[in-house]
Amino acid sequence: MTLHTTALRAVHPAALLYAEEAKAGLLSRREFLTRATALGVASATAYGLIGLPSPANAQDATTPVQGGTLRMNMETRATKDPRTWDWSEIANFGRGWLDYMVEYEPDGSLRPMLLESWEANEDATEWTLKVRQGVKWNNGDDFTAEDVVNNIRRWCDGTVEGNSMAARFGGLMDAATSQMREDAVEIVDPATIRLKLSEPDIAVVVNMADYPAAVVHQSYDNGDPAANPIGTGAFLPETNEVGVKQVLVRNPDHTWWGTAVYGGPYLDRIEYIDYGTDPAAVLAAAESGEVDATYQTTGDFIDIYDGLGWVKSEAVTATTLAVRFNQSQPPYDNVEVRKALQMAVDNNVVLELGYNNLGVVAENHHVCPIHPEYAELPPPVVDPAGAKAALEAAGQADTEFELISLDDSFQAATCDAVAAQIRDAGINIKRTVLPGSTFWNDWLNYPFSATQWVMRPLGVQVLNLAYKSGVAWNETAFANPEFDAALAQANSISDADQRREVMATLEKIMQDQGVLIQPYWQSLYRHTTAQVHGAEQHPIYEHHHYKWWKEAAS
Amino acid sequence: MLLFLVKRLVTMLVTAICLTIVVFALTNLPPNLEKIAKSEIGTRISDAEVTSWLDKNGFGAPLLVRYGEWLGLLPGWTRTDENGVVYGRCIREGEDPATAPIRCGVLQGEWGYSRVFRQEVADVIARGLGLTGKLMFWVLLVMVPGALLTGVLAGMREGSRTDRALSTASIVATATPEYVSGVVFIAVFTSSAVGLKWFNGSATSAMDDATLVNFTLPVLTVALYAMGYVARMTRASMAEVMTAQYIRTARLKGVSFPKIVLRHALRNALIAPFTVIMLQIPWLLNGVVIVETLFNYKGFGWTLVQAAGNNDIDLLLGVSVVSVIVVLLTQLISDVGYVFLNPRIRLA
Amino acid sequence: MEPMTWTGSLGFVLNPLLLAGGVLLLVAVVLSVLIRLVTPEPQVTVSPDGTLAVHPGLRSYTSLAVRAAGALLVATLLAYVLGGILLPWGQAGIVGAIARRFLPVWVALILTFTLSIAYSPHLGLYGRLFDSTVGKIGFGLVMFWVFTALSVGVFGWIATHDPLAAVSGLKNKPPGIPVPGVDLLGPGSHYLLGGDNLARDVFSRVVHGSWIVVQIAPIATCFAFMVGITLGLPAGYYGGRLDTAISFLANLILAFPVILLFYLLVTPEIVQTGIPSFMAAGLFIFPLVFVGVLIWSRYRTEPRRAMTMLGVILAVMGWGYLSLISQAGTPLAFMGPVDLFDVPPGVLVVFVSVVFVNSPTVFRIVRGLAMDIKTRDYVAAAQTRGERPWYIMLWEILPNARGPLIVDFCLRIGYTTILLGTLGFFGLGLPPESPDWGSTINAGRQLLAVFPHPAIVPAVALLSLVLGLNLLADGLREESLRD
Repeated sequence: MTLHTTALRAVHPAALLYAEEAKAGLLSRREFLTRATALGVASATAYGLIGLPSPANAQDATTPVQGGTLRMNMETRATKDPRTWDWSEIANFGRGWLDYMVEYEPDGSLRPMLLESWEANEDATEWTLKVRQGVKWNNGDDFTAEDVVNNIRRWCDGTVEGNSMAARFGGLMDAATSQMREDAVEIVDPATIRLKLSEPDIAVVVNMADYPAAVVHQSYDNGDPAANPIGTGAFLPETNEVGVKQVLVRNPDHTWWGTAVYGGPYLDRIEYIDYGTDPAAVLAAAESGEVDATYQTTGDFIDIYDGLGWVKSEAVTATTLAVRFNQSQPPYDNVEVRKALQMAVDNNVVLELGYNNLGVVAENHHVCPIHPEYAELPPPVVDPAGAKAALEAAGQADTEFELISLDDSFQAATCDAVAAQIRDAGINIKRTVLPGSTFWNDWLNYPFSATQWVMRPLGVQVLNLAYKSGVAWNETAFANPEFDAALAQANSISDADQRREVMATLEKIMQDQGVLIQPYWQSLYRHTTAQVHGAEQHPIYEHHHYKWWKEAAS
Repeated sequence: MLLFLVKRLVTMLVTAICLTIVVFALTNLPPNLEKIAKSEIGTRISDAEVTSWLDKNGFGAPLLVRYGEWLGLLPGWTRTDENGVVYGRCIREGEDPATAPIRCGVLQGEWGYSRVFRQEVADVIARGLGLTGKLMFWVLLVMVPGALLTGVLAGMREGSRTDRALSTASIVATATPEYVSGVVFIAVFTSSAVGLKWFNGSATSAMDDATLVNFTLPVLTVALYAMGYVARMTRASMAEVMTAQYIRTARLKGVSFPKIVLRHALRNALIAPFTVIMLQIPWLLNGVVIVETLFNYKGFGWTLVQAAGNNDIDLLLGVSVVSVIVVLLTQLISDVGYVFLNPRIRLA
Repeated sequence: MEPMTWTGSLGFVLNPLLLAGGVLLLVAVVLSVLIRLVTPEPQVTVSPDGTLAVHPGLRSYTSLAVRAAGALLVATLLAYVLGGILLPWGQAGIVGAIARRFLPVWVALILTFTLSIAYSPHLGLYGRLFDSTVGKIGFGLVMFWVFTALSVGVFGWIATHDPLAAVSGLKNKPPGIPVPGVDLLGPGSHYLLGGDNLARDVFSRVVHGSWIVVQIAPIATCFAFMVGITLGLPAGYYGGRLDTAISFLANLILAFPVILLFYLLVTPEIVQTGIPSFMAAGLFIFPLVFVGVLIWSRYRTEPRRAMTMLGVILAVMGWGYLSLISQAGTPLAFMGPVDLFDVPPGVLVVFVSVVFVNSPTVFRIVRGLAMDIKTRDYVAAAQTRGERPWYIMLWEILPNARGPLIVDFCLRIGYTTILLGTLGFFGLGLPPESPDWGSTINAGRQLLAVFPHPAIVPAVALLSLVLGLNLLADGLREESLRD
């Protein structure tokens, strides 16, 4: 593929540097794509920079078939204001009629959706966004720059209970009012918007791909978005029965902008059926022909679905299970206790017993080797005898610890494996498994429990979301000024190599403070019948409905 | 007879009221209310916010007052916020407070709103009952003839080999709880490991369209456990009748054995099983809950588990009322039926 | 090391025999049932000399065939067990090895049966149990698990591994898999029934599970009986308002779907409020009341003796009771250092709920029996003698109601076992790593389609125990009816 000259001119200088590194083998292809596209390089161009054909060209030779129904198991949760979405599942239903500004592709790149392109200045404090033209809402209105600003304003409203988007747009917000600074967002012309950040932020556009960032119409009243489904998307909600079924049908009276740009949608109907949290129930449904695709296949079930002749797709991710301590609850307020428990657990064994070796061993600091700014540290020390001794020294030798987990099979198995290791070190530990309905009501406050964290494209993003002092999802109650300072510094460095030095500090603090036992990074799997195409597993569970299609039943 | 019925209905009413008070009290314990507040507005809120949310949503009133509101005896709560907007139990979103009813409880036909399913409780329960009704219909259709046949065959010649074989089979059936038999059925008949794949291990599709393939296993699993019990009762009753004087007389007169069984013994032998079958129906509910969970069939039992697991107060109350009515109604039918079947009993 | 096969070197001879025996038995039973349905009853003819003669027909041949096939089957099974005990470890395969591990149980069973049968005429109802085949089989099954539980729980025999220890590499491995790193052939060298989802030994878990099941179910049933009897006797005896009131309460509890009740009682929120602790305090006082009244009504005429007995027994029981209900970390924690034991809170909640659910049924049975028996002559005689009501209830009515009560007790233990499993199925109650059978079945059912052994083994164990209790109850009923 040859490079477009116009594209080359627009390429961010840092991206060109990355391309050099990638070609020299210093940077993996995946890391390169994440970084380059985050800086506003179109993904086709990014592929071109490192001399590879865009995957669109290397696509499956079979032509997509129009029409058909695809059924997938998924927990169907109650719909609510998009910015307060706390489950990928809610978003996946909402994606039927709500589009996003940008879309995170399974290969780590960003695809422009309602934004046509974007650019950052040298220090990532000023961003220029280009609004896609010719997009229509399904009520006939035009999609305009005002709509973009309206959505950014919504995201920045920190006074809304549970609005997790606000934590991602600190640079656009007025700290005093918890609202968007009106001078931070400027409509330059009907197709251009300029963002002026108060502090450098390299993740502004990446954050717009996150699942609570669904783009809503100006008339939206913050209620149930499925009640009056105005959106730019290609589908409409037909059935919305929480805990039972959610159905999307193709909107016949609406021309979707993306058909001209990316093709699709192909399916007439998408049914999400709720089978609860028990993977055995989903397997039974799959064997019975009640579903065509799984939402996710975990652990031991991967081999079983392979055995059924279903097609497996794998997404390598920075998704992980954080077996974390809550530092506001004794005895975990004592750093020695946390470190001792960490020391008793061999993450390799947990990966084997808890997750069938379907992932990569992690190092208790929640930064993944696939993140561009990952810094390698010496592996954590495993020393069961030392752990016991440390607990004795801390006066907690006879304490019975309690590890709480969800009843989800792999999460429970992982925690059982963690507990078994701790027990082997001669430490008393008890396991408690709670059903989802009970568990999620109090997940932030359990003293010692496990939470699954889905991946974010950049290493700093999870640290910002979960470990910065006082943020909404900080379930460890970790509050460390040194860490916060270093994190703020890392957030201002758009160059991943420079950022890596700060990351090393951050990772070291995480390890030294014994914040969590993080046994492994998961790979995610999905199985589909052989007829289903384009519905490969996505690293952050996103469903890009317009890519899905299904061969007609033979 | 009429007096008897009236008395029973009054007892039923009192029982239902007592039970709902118990359920109401248990689901309205402070930690449960806190759980609701947190699931409604987020997990990281202070105790003061919890209290204020509870007050705003009518949970602040004393327990019995709120029970009265739920029942529809007392007027529903209303609250006027700082902007002068009136909220209330009986005022729907967008409705004019002036035209809204004063009371809205069970007596007015308002069963409340399910927090889990985001639907009217009446609708959720109706959906569940419809699906479970379908399941129960087939269960009874399989269970009753099967159990009666087994019991009569076993009991007509007590101590024979047929009797011993069938009795052992019934004992094995009663000793196999649904979660064991269901699990074994799924493993044997549906899994790729065994490879038979005769039936479906999931009954979700049976909700819309029940077929032999997707509905056999759930029906069989529920029916089997109860079948053993009813068969044993029938056998005992049959065996007792067979030793009665009039049967002995008939045999001595030389009436053929099949004729004795069909003409003389059967009617009297079936009185006891009838009551047992009726009393068995509430017990089937247990099996239904397990089977509906196991096979993912979203009927009444599954609704119960969801309501209880999520402390969905209104739904839970509705579910308890319905199940109590089912229990008491079957008791009533069994008593009345007993009278009709047995000419020797007259109710005063 | 080699994986073990199911039957080892014995299998070559015994497996075909077992198959033959099984097929023969099945064919014979089916034939005999069919023939009995088709052919007429044996004709009894009176000979001229006055004796009766029965003409043997097809029926007697089939029954002979059934017996022969049955004998072959039993002999083969015995040969497996004996082979396992006599041959060196591992030679007789998994079956042999398991048979050998159960050696203490076999010895205890043989002793129990020999002694019981030898002295059966002097043992009352228990002795007569051995006249009934069904009763013997049931008793054998129940005692098998009781002895197993005692061996593993008290002496630590039978199990080959720690039920909670995971051995890396043995996750979901099939039965007979060798344990890596163990070179010495012996009990620890193989996972006899394979590894479970967390690489723990299925065999050891099931064996250890029996200790939990055999403890909780009968004790809970005992408590339920104490409650039921203490309330049921006066209700049945006095009748009237008291009866109406208690019966109404009992019906109230019975009208509740059991699962709903469990969900309402066994949640962390409810445990937090201390309701189960208060219920425990209420329910567990009944044994004290029962024993107290029992002794007082008997020895009322000798106050000194009665007071001494009451004082000693109630002091001991009272201390036990207070220790039981006082739990560190619940609203009822007052015992401090004199607290004898702490039941794990999960177990206590399960215990309370099971007792609570079972008591009303027991109450109804006792009440019915009391109403029936109070019309008997010996009760009237006692009343004329001027005995106090409680004496009549406890020392006249109760002993005469023992038959049905013992039968129901056996059935109810089985039912309680099933109930415990149900709780495990919904993930309520006992901690998830507990080896009790309900939780194990629940954990194993997820991968049932591919690895059936972790769920099937505890399922069979649970089934055999409940079946044993049912058969035992049946045998007892049959024998007690002959009174």
